[in-house]
Amino acid sequence: MSGVELHVPPDVVYVGLARLVVTTAARKSGMDDGRIEDLKIAVSEATTNAILAHQRVDRDRPVVLMFGPREDQFEVVIQDTGPGFEPPLDQDPTDRDWAEEGGLGVTVIRGLTDGVDFIREGGTRVHMRFSVGLGSNGHGPR
Amino acid sequence: MELSLHHRTEGDHTILDVGGEVDVYTAPKLRERLVELVGEGHYNLVVDMTKVEFLDSTGLGVLVGGLKRVRAHEGSLALVCNQERILKIFRITGLTKVFPIYDTLDEALQGQS
Repeated sequence: MSGVELHVPPDVVYVGLARLVVTTAARKSGMDDGRIEDLKIAVSEATTNAILAHQRVDRDRPVVLMFGPREDQFEVVIQDTGPGFEPPLDQDPTDRDWAEEGGLGVTVIRGLTDGVDFIREGGTRVHMRFSVGLGSNGHGPR
Repeated sequence: MELSLHHRTEGDHTILDVGGEVDVYTAPKLRERLVELVGEGHYNLVVDMTKVEFLDSTGLGVLVGGLKRVRAHEGSLALVCNQERILKIFRITGLTKVFPIYDTLDEALQGQS
């Protein structure tokens, strides 16, 4: 992936900035507005999870976002060095225990991306792919 | 954009207007407001999200928490939302089956009466 690397301090105040930077890069790559909205939410979810993972273990190292166009996709990788987690399996919403807040982020990411891998390696690496709407600015094939 | 919160009472309902961005940074303010309202006896809430620019699962979680609180008092929590980008994550998470969601405030007030 030829792209940009962004180091974000593990403070939730920076989640909005991460959203803004990644969506600006995607827009410049020709992603259409509808897909930008999906990307914005997925980046917010994964960045939030990564920052909270660092906070849980008092880690002051930054969360790293790498993003850019690759062939006909826009890819975003978000790496934390937290304790890692096992992504929950998708649940039927009618079976879900709504007594607990939280835990919806992974479901949202799966629903909004064209592909996602959760890799446990020195923390958690979330690799998200968005395949729609690239190319209208002349970057990469349509 | 920051979060804006304003509430007013109309008949038996308390309408909470939410505007701006609801994410992990701003959601605690929404949670606090919902807790305050329920604590003050506002058990029939309509959360108007017409002016919400961004909402992620942290915001969804806070709304689920609000619903739990009003249900503990046999109350209700309805949502007003006509923005596809926001409705989409309610559908993905199955929360369209949990919350009554209306296109307009008038419909929400009629539907909840």
